[in-house]
Amino acid sequence: MTRFFTSLSTFFDIYGDMFVSSIQKHLFYVLVSVSIGFVLGLFFGILLSRAPQLSAITLPLISVFQTIPGIVFIGILFLYTGMEPITVLIALSIYAMFPVLKNTYTGLLGVEKQYLEAAWGCGMTPMQTLLQVELPLAMPNIIGGLRLSTVYTVSWATLAAIIGLGGLGDFIYQGVSSNNDALILAGAIPAAIMAVVLGKLIDRLQIAVTPRGLRKGGAK
Amino acid sequence: MIRFEHVTKQYGDNVILNDLNFEIEEGKFVILIGPSGCGKTTTLKMINRLIDPNSGRIYIDDKDINTIDKPALRRSIGYVIQQIGLFPNMTVAQNISVVPRLLKYPKEKCDQIVHELLEMVNMPYEQYAHKYPSEMSGGQQQRIGVLRALAASPPIVLMDEPFGALDPMTRTVLQEEVKKLQRKLNKTIIFVTHDMEEAISLADVIIFMDKGEIAQIASPEEMLRNPANDLIRSFLGKHIHDNNETLTISSFLRTNIFKVGADRGILECTELMALHGVDTLLVTDSDDRYLGTVSIEEINEHSHEKLDSIAPLVRRVMPEASITDEAKACFDKLLVKGGNYVVVLNPDQTIAGIVTRSSMARALASAVWGD
Repeated sequence: MTRFFTSLSTFFDIYGDMFVSSIQKHLFYVLVSVSIGFVLGLFFGILLSRAPQLSAITLPLISVFQTIPGIVFIGILFLYTGMEPITVLIALSIYAMFPVLKNTYTGLLGVEKQYLEAAWGCGMTPMQTLLQVELPLAMPNIIGGLRLSTVYTVSWATLAAIIGLGGLGDFIYQGVSSNNDALILAGAIPAAIMAVVLGKLIDRLQIAVTPRGLRKGGAK
Repeated sequence: MIRFEHVTKQYGDNVILNDLNFEIEEGKFVILIGPSGCGKTTTLKMINRLIDPNSGRIYIDDKDINTIDKPALRRSIGYVIQQIGLFPNMTVAQNISVVPRLLKYPKEKCDQIVHELLEMVNMPYEQYAHKYPSEMSGGQQQRIGVLRALAASPPIVLMDEPFGALDPMTRTVLQEEVKKLQRKLNKTIIFVTHDMEEAISLADVIIFMDKGEIAQIASPEEMLRNPANDLIRSFLGKHIHDNNETLTISSFLRTNIFKVGADRGILECTELMALHGVDTLLVTDSDDRYLGTVSIEEINEHSHEKLDSIAPLVRRVMPEASITDEAKACFDKLLVKGGNYVVVLNPDQTIAGIVTRSSMARALASAVWGD
């Protein structure tokens, strides 16, 4: 036990600063790219839901794109934008966008016809119908997409390290290349904790944004 | 006033509405009815432009509704649908005030409307205003659905089978409420249903549609009296009273009667009367032909005489009718001559039965209201 603590304190002596800055950088990547991805996903999801006939082409395309390994995409992007944080942010934002886009789209299409008819019958414009009826009703779905993309992005953000841009991936890759288990864990454990904590926060958010009338127990 | 002029709607080759022309007066409760696929809902939805016609024009107060911006038009027309469609993300108060809020009424005004309307249907504000639709029964939800349609005081309210999904009890209550509201607020209501009972009890005017055309426009009374065709007649079903068919006596004859032979003894007859609780017996001869009646008074009067049979006591005083007579003749005898019953005879003078006041009342009731 004492040996564990000794080695832990040695670890912090050597890697302390790097550890803290890696977490910060990692979190920065995640928050920025998830935010951008969320906005883009919401935007394109709404757009796509206005023209569902397009989804026959777009959704399969998106699925294909999603299967491209992140490492390949970052590598290609690296050729154009270089060793800059922007490279990582672009790649992560695009990946973060997909779950939100898909869930927004399915959530909006899942809004029952009776509510749309009622909204139109009341004299809501298409924009009012979207903002006052469709989006609130699709919100649980949309936030579900946000949760998915956040958890994924925490793990995808480790890829930043392969183009030398830090984050918790640094520890993992260094650990893997130097066969140092402690370093791998030093990257993996905080990343795992980060994913769990952010996931929980979004669960809270989901409850908060779900209209009371739609919550379990209250709703039919 | 709403006016349809040469309105036609088709999807591909499928003609939904074929050259529709009609007018709806202000303040009337108008029912659109007909078999499914007759175009009644399509007609309704054209009034608030949820569906646009392929050709023809629709006017509200002489204004072509095509020239009115859709949201503006719809905010000026109430709309109630069968699925209710209360927004589940909004409270009762928010649902009711949807249209006033779209019209940018000040908040106090919206609150006031919600208060007034809830009060009108006896749903206390404190208890219901902050509930969500999912916390209420179907009947309560549709009440709110109706209030939502009325909130901005539109002169016209469209209702698309609004009570179709409710249980019969709740439906009746809501029908009465809507009728009351319509009279009180003097709205023009266009109401789609396939239930003739509902149509007859609510409508000022019934528009009967079939295959995209109007089969008849009439008041319920007029439609019941003169249905334009057999389809309407079958829709009216039991409500219709067919005047051509005359009632005959045979349909309300009482046949469980008490008759005795003229050769029977007096004690025997009094026993029989006591047993069945009657004060007269019908008397027949040996060939079963009607001779007359014997009453308990007659027997009492002659009790001191020693009689072998009732034959001397038989009197032919009761009104008589033939089985082939019309019912009315029989009723007249019963009412005018004031006997207790009319004896109905077969052509061979045997007794077919009797008609009493209660059997007459029963027969009339079933003729008027159905069985």
